[in-house]
Amino acid sequence: MIDAFLDGLLLVLQWKALAFMLLGVGLGFWVGLLPGLGGATTLALMLPFIYTMQPVEAFAFLLGMHAVVATTGDITSVLFGVPGEATTAATILDGYAMTKKGEAGRALGAALGSSLVGALVGAFALALAIPIVRPLVLTFGSPELFMLAIVGLAFIASLSAQGGRGMLRGFLAGGLGLLFATVGQDPQAGVARFTLDTLYLWQGLELVPVLVGIFAIPEIIDLVVRGTSIAGDLPPGRLNKGAFEGLKDTFRHFGLTIRCSLIGTFIGIMPGLGGAVAQWMAYGHATQSARNAEERKGFGAGDVRGVLGPGAANNSKEGGSLIPTVAFGVPGSTSMAILLGGFVLLGLVPGPDMLTTHLTLTFSMVWTIVVANVITVAASFLFLNRLAKLTTVRGHMLIPVILVLVFVGSFTANNNYGDLVVTLVFGGIGYLMVVAGWPRAPFVLGLVLGKIAENYLYISVARYGAAWLSRPVVLVLLALALVVVVYPFIQSRRRGPGKGAHA
Amino acid sequence: MRHTHALFAVFGLALCAPQYGLAQPSPYAGKTITMVVGYKPGGGYDATARLLARHLPDHIPGKPTVIVQNMPGANSLIAANHVYGAAKPDGLTIGTFNRNLPIAQLTGVAGVKFDMTKFAWIGSASSESTILAIRTDLPYNSFEDMKKSGKEIVIGATGPGANTYDFPLLIKDLLGVKLKIVSGYSSSSDIMLAIERKEADGRAGSYSSILPFIDRKLVRPVIRARATEPGIEKLPVDEDLASTPRAKAIMALRSAPEVIGRPYVMPPGTPDAMVKAMREAFAKAIKDPKLIAEAKKAKMDLEFVPGDEALKVIKEVLTQPKDIVDEFSKYIKFGE
Repeated sequence: MIDAFLDGLLLVLQWKALAFMLLGVGLGFWVGLLPGLGGATTLALMLPFIYTMQPVEAFAFLLGMHAVVATTGDITSVLFGVPGEATTAATILDGYAMTKKGEAGRALGAALGSSLVGALVGAFALALAIPIVRPLVLTFGSPELFMLAIVGLAFIASLSAQGGRGMLRGFLAGGLGLLFATVGQDPQAGVARFTLDTLYLWQGLELVPVLVGIFAIPEIIDLVVRGTSIAGDLPPGRLNKGAFEGLKDTFRHFGLTIRCSLIGTFIGIMPGLGGAVAQWMAYGHATQSARNAEERKGFGAGDVRGVLGPGAANNSKEGGSLIPTVAFGVPGSTSMAILLGGFVLLGLVPGPDMLTTHLTLTFSMVWTIVVANVITVAASFLFLNRLAKLTTVRGHMLIPVILVLVFVGSFTANNNYGDLVVTLVFGGIGYLMVVAGWPRAPFVLGLVLGKIAENYLYISVARYGAAWLSRPVVLVLLALALVVVVYPFIQSRRRGPGKGAHA
Repeated sequence: MRHTHALFAVFGLALCAPQYGLAQPSPYAGKTITMVVGYKPGGGYDATARLLARHLPDHIPGKPTVIVQNMPGANSLIAANHVYGAAKPDGLTIGTFNRNLPIAQLTGVAGVKFDMTKFAWIGSASSESTILAIRTDLPYNSFEDMKKSGKEIVIGATGPGANTYDFPLLIKDLLGVKLKIVSGYSSSSDIMLAIERKEADGRAGSYSSILPFIDRKLVRPVIRARATEPGIEKLPVDEDLASTPRAKAIMALRSAPEVIGRPYVMPPGTPDAMVKAMREAFAKAIKDPKLIAEAKKAKMDLEFVPGDEALKVIKEVLTQPKDIVDEFSKYIKFGE
């Protein structure tokens, strides 16, 4: 096993594999930066190029590209408040808030630092999980996956403002998200729900236009109204020191970064939960680390921990989602489904063989994720401070560019004008929510988890009747969900003002 | 001297000109053909289209560029409406979409703005056989065993309109096998995992997508629909086991579009010469050893069904008597 682990590294470091990886990393870099253009689509477009490659080279190319998308996606989220990827939207909440305070460099440093840690944790979790991966994945049937979605929804308690009013608004926003998740043809009876007699809504709401609308549009309006640069009128000198400060933050809150990486890995392993969920659970967990009410209020207003959490999770989930793909031939996300096509092209059969006869190759994938992220983060640091300076450019000059990114990005979801309408409508909803002081994160969490919760609940009841409620893992997860809901209350009771009892 | 040379050159060109005229530069020379795919990148329809787009230029006179444009939505109704109503019939647009669109037209799905028989049909690039496979650790070796046992068998499915759902539904209701269809899985690979953890006992789907799991001895195929492929010829066919002509007709209707599993059309009114050129290009490209080698690697098996034959299948579907259509609509909803 150790041999295979090291051989895997050597395979990746061969010049040909490394060259292909660099090519992939270069591509993934841009794909991540540009909103809308997603990792999955790019993977599909690149698939034909691997016909003539060796497996190690092909995976270095594809995975190298895929592994950095979430890393550079964070950059767009932090700098402009526009989600670079559907999986990097949670970084906006605190990352963009920091940018507005003139801390873009620090936020970017934290995003990249945590991305790197996340990628490493995810990759090593993949390596360690190999012996136990089959039983682990097989324990989680539909009832367990439903309960995981419930645990996810329970994080609304952490994502909402404190106090009765804040909670009420948070859970109502979450409920609204769940409601929007029901749009489209339902999978049990085939009935079209809330499609407004349009064909466009048959497949439900596309995540990218919704996220871009709800997060980016309100910020653009805000920027127009303020009439300043993104970072206000702060002296530009302050910006330049930030990037290394952000990197240091990653290690200052190392425990949190690791825990959020593990959350990401775990969600990644579970097929069927989808890539967009992990970041929000990690963000919810990050807010739990607030030591007092003052600190809790700082989340959403530019707390670096709110960047570290999702930054780590959206990278660590990649290692995680490779696990079911490799071990069962069952992809954990759309990107992995396309990667699976790559396996077939190369004549490999994903499944138990990948953990025995092809173990070296599997480990080479682990190493690809590691090396690709190290390269990206190092390369990004070279011009991070330059990027951060963009936030001192006057808003009037930036806005046209950002608007183009926003609408072109949304349009690439389906190449349909409906995408633009969805962006505008949710932009309006997002703006109203911001103005009225309603939290947007619970809404997105509801939207992301709605379909998952609905379908797995239906399957659980149809398959097991009421018996699924007594499954041990279901009960454990139920207890966990309760803890997550009650935690903010316990926290507010236990904390004395200003005292940090548990760090 | 130089003037004379130039003069000769001009004359020479003038002499040659009629010959160039005779050679008739292909209408496709220097042009770009857009292939509109009704799905997102990554699926089977998209993979087939991209494979063809890579090899078609070699077989179209004038070597045009062929690009793929994804236009997903409403199980590819949006793409079909676009190719039918919005795209110019100038021979530069090809559409490929859900093989079940004739069913959508037949059952009067809202949003259908096309008549399948009026497209300029190129043909189909492959047929897709649907099978039902169950776990190998179940004590049934054949469909007969399964039916006789009378025990409930749990079938995982994605949702109505997909072959993971419709095929077992007809087996359950028309052949009287005790199946319990549980739908809501997000993809067919999700169902495969449910089978692996014994939450589901089996699933239906295209033979090509289940084949890796048959090879791995996780599941075994027990029954198939009309369209066949090497390896499953000997399986019982659902419509042969039907006890009434009505049941047989309904099953046959569900299976009919599978023969034209990857339909390719051009907008109505595309000049015949261009449609003909495209049919020939498809036929040649699908026989091209380079394409076959690539398809083999991707575990795809292409077989060209020319446009007139495809149209025959479409007409067969669309000319069903009303009572059969009404009965059919009770079971089958249009979906992916």
